[in-house]
Amino acid sequence: MSFWRFGRRLFERRKEELEEEIQAHLRMDVAARMERGASRAEAEASARREFGNVALVRDVTHGFWRWGWLEALIGDLGYSVRVLRRSAGFSIAVILTLAVGIGAACAMFTVVDRVLLRSLPYRHPDELAVIQESGKRGARNGSPYLDIAQWRARSRTFREIAFYDSNVRKTAFLNAGDATIHVNAPAISGNLLETLGVHPALGREFREDRASGAVEAQDAHSLMLSDGVWRTNYGADPAIVGKVVRVDGEAYTVIGVMPRGFTFPFGYEQPVVWRGLVLGTADTVRTHNANPDYQSISRREQGVTLAQAGAELNVIQADVVKSYANAIDAEDMTGIQLTRYADSLVEAKVQKALLALFGAAALLWVIACVNVTSLMLARATGRQREMAVRGALGASRWQIARQLLMEGLLLSSCGSLLGLGLSAAMLKLFEHGLTTEFGIRAQLAPNVPVLAGLLALTAASAFLISAWPAFGMSRTHIEPVLRQGSPQQDMGRMPQRLRAVLVITEIALSLTLLVGCGLLLRTIYALRHVPLGYRTDHVLVAKMTVPSYRFVGRNMTTDLYQPLVDRVKQLPGVEAASLMSQAPMDHAVRMEFSLGRAGASADDIRRSNIRAEFRAVGPEMQRVFGFRMVRGRFFTDQDTASSQAVVLVNRAFVKEYFGDQDDPGRILGEKLMSLDSKRRAQVVGVFEDERQVSVTAPPRPEVEVCIPQITPKTGFYKGAEGVAMDLAVRTDQSPAVMLPELREILRRASPDLAESTFTTMDQIVEDSYGSQRLAVELLEIFAGSALLLCVAGIYGLLAYLVAQRTREMGVRIALGAQRWDVMGLVLRQAAWMLIAGLGLGLGIAYVASRGLRTFLFEVKPDDPWTLGAVTLLLFASGLVAAYWPARRAAGVDPMEALRAE
Amino acid sequence: MLGRNRYQNRIELLQGTLDMLILRTLQWGPAHGYGIVQALRVQSGEALQVETGSLYPALHRLQRQGWVESEWKQTESNQRARFYRITAAGKQQLMSDVGRWKQMVQVIGGILGEVEGGEA
Repeated sequence: MSFWRFGRRLFERRKEELEEEIQAHLRMDVAARMERGASRAEAEASARREFGNVALVRDVTHGFWRWGWLEALIGDLGYSVRVLRRSAGFSIAVILTLAVGIGAACAMFTVVDRVLLRSLPYRHPDELAVIQESGKRGARNGSPYLDIAQWRARSRTFREIAFYDSNVRKTAFLNAGDATIHVNAPAISGNLLETLGVHPALGREFREDRASGAVEAQDAHSLMLSDGVWRTNYGADPAIVGKVVRVDGEAYTVIGVMPRGFTFPFGYEQPVVWRGLVLGTADTVRTHNANPDYQSISRREQGVTLAQAGAELNVIQADVVKSYANAIDAEDMTGIQLTRYADSLVEAKVQKALLALFGAAALLWVIACVNVTSLMLARATGRQREMAVRGALGASRWQIARQLLMEGLLLSSCGSLLGLGLSAAMLKLFEHGLTTEFGIRAQLAPNVPVLAGLLALTAASAFLISAWPAFGMSRTHIEPVLRQGSPQQDMGRMPQRLRAVLVITEIALSLTLLVGCGLLLRTIYALRHVPLGYRTDHVLVAKMTVPSYRFVGRNMTTDLYQPLVDRVKQLPGVEAASLMSQAPMDHAVRMEFSLGRAGASADDIRRSNIRAEFRAVGPEMQRVFGFRMVRGRFFTDQDTASSQAVVLVNRAFVKEYFGDQDDPGRILGEKLMSLDSKRRAQVVGVFEDERQVSVTAPPRPEVEVCIPQITPKTGFYKGAEGVAMDLAVRTDQSPAVMLPELREILRRASPDLAESTFTTMDQIVEDSYGSQRLAVELLEIFAGSALLLCVAGIYGLLAYLVAQRTREMGVRIALGAQRWDVMGLVLRQAAWMLIAGLGLGLGIAYVASRGLRTFLFEVKPDDPWTLGAVTLLLFASGLVAAYWPARRAAGVDPMEALRAE
Repeated sequence: MLGRNRYQNRIELLQGTLDMLILRTLQWGPAHGYGIVQALRVQSGEALQVETGSLYPALHRLQRQGWVESEWKQTESNQRARFYRITAAGKQQLMSDVGRWKQMVQVIGGILGEVEGGEA
């Protein structure tokens, strides 16, 4: 502000000096003329005449000053502020419109920037790629070490291939002083940090076994801390290196601390520590379920493209796959999928959803700009006289255009500021959806690239909305405007037609957004009506962080789980409670089991590699979720560790492996699998299919075992109970009442369990609508705004036209036209614009909605009902908008209209 | 049409010449705007009437180029006025302007002479 004032004062002084110079000149001239005998009046008049246009001399002279342009700009700005303040209504309308468009675009760009454009905290992250084996059943999540070793030995396009073992759901417990904190503790190969190009800030790295790439055995109990853990839990103690800490009860020596900001794998919610990955005997075989699977990350040699590297690996893999003894295992490993590491963090579907939403926001921005351009054109017409006067006073064409551009810039800047606020509000509003759907951990707030984008958007908006009026206006002919003297003189038919074109464009684009919104609304409706196969109401789910390290050598089933469930069941308001290894749609972990069966028949061969969702559940689960039985019975309290081992399967399982044309009950009594060496489990029931994975994914074959029958001797005890266990409670009480009591029970059972996260089953299902639900909510806002702008645009144009044609209407009415005819005249014009806009819009929507195909569920992109309904809605809204100007036209008093001219 | 202004056109036409004349006038000593107009009128035998509308822009332009400098002083009749004085750079500029002017006069004169000669 002070700079401004200083600048102004500088200009003022120079101006005063020039003024004084001119006045001195005039005085000397007058004096000389009077000396020659002229009277004062004569002398003054002729001196002035000879001097010419004082104002112009001033103006032209100012032009030669070095800071002239800045002064002119500041002058323009001041003038713009005054002009816009004088027509506050117009300014507010424009600013609000722009704020909506810019705000939406800014919010979506913030998300796009965070998710797709984020830079990973590694050196040259673009060279990093994820290697996945893929085959008949799609890409696999991990590979046995022997395969990775082959790639490392034979490929020439990679500088390094590293591997690591991370179980996302698995929480490790780090004893830091008195407290136990939950951490992720992936095991990383010795060459991983080298591959990422990041090295410890403190201490040393794992000793790499050069031959294998893994970590040397002597570092099997070494640990590296993340900067966050080091600062929060060890007070940034530089002497931490060499100290012993306990993870899951085991002792580890801290060897180093990673630099601040480093995280791997990317996107962990919890603090991270890294263990060394030491190869064991299990890594010397390639057998399904016998060897551990590792995720791979690689760095390409410089100048090698992803496609080249992928092609090379595929050739190698064709050879590697021959080493698989089991033909069915080999089916899954026939090829290689190479993905840029940054891309692997975002599912393709999410990426598409994001881009589609960004496109929608951009569309809304265009609509807002079109709307404002139309407003600006109308206003420019109203200001013709002002511009003509400025022209007559010597303003150049450029000066007038510049003035209008300045007004546009001022408006769009105000709109941007407001839009920034709107976008922040929108991000806050959708925070839950945005973060769960797009995997954003940190807070969503505009950052530097976003603000730069906003600045660009502001400038672009300013140009879009004011360029047309500015250059149209600067070509105004002064004389006719001044002569006719009417402030409402029309600029001619051209701008009117232009405005009509703009409104038609607006209608067309709004229709596109509305169609997208309509299609997604139908999708959400369809999703909500998918029979899930279980009840979701009144179910609370706790995702437990299982402290298996505290139960080493004990039976978790009897020592932890049974007492826990018993205590929960005694809480008032609890109808039923049970544990299950994973609640439906809790897609954090998926266990597939092959149930080996010997035999020679076709059925036996098919069954030799059964793949099914596997779940351990308690006997009360049916009461909690209301699973329906097709045949047989559910688990009961009589199914215990000492009774006959039993399993349940779902209908999809029977259909897939036993043929379910007539009698799903045929499977009852089959001995399907072994719980341990002594117990063969018998199928005692078939339950109705349910959606385990997501609402849209069809039910998969599933096998359930009974938790009380699981003992440490049971083969999958560790996998099922040590990793994931959810507590599901059916209750009439509100979560607010239940949560503290449940948490207390969990805490008493084991302190670590107090950290479990609670949700309702309704929320889990709701979250599983995922991108669709988020998209529909955002699109509702975008499309609603577009509809509003569109209606405002139609109303504005018609109101303007009616005002322009008041006289014509008066004459028509005076000549005997019925009021209804006059109204019809206006409505016809509206209908014409609407039909043109809707026709165009249907064309665009037809093409654009194809891009939505992946998000649609049970709706086609060209769904006639949606297209029809949306078209009708827009048409009706348009006519309503036209009704008021039409009524005004019909209400014109002929006498007054004629007299007013 | 809001065309370019009459005055500006003339400035463009006279630009080189006017600057040269102003610099030449200032070689006699510092002068204010009115003095320059008068001097040019008298010296040209009343034939040349400098438009004040182009004089002041020209003076400010010359000052920006660094060819003249100015200060506020009292005139003989006790008027406060801004006096312009030619600078060293201005003198150089004047020399080169005059040189070019002479060259041009010669060239154009030659062409015109030829035309007249052809008709004769």
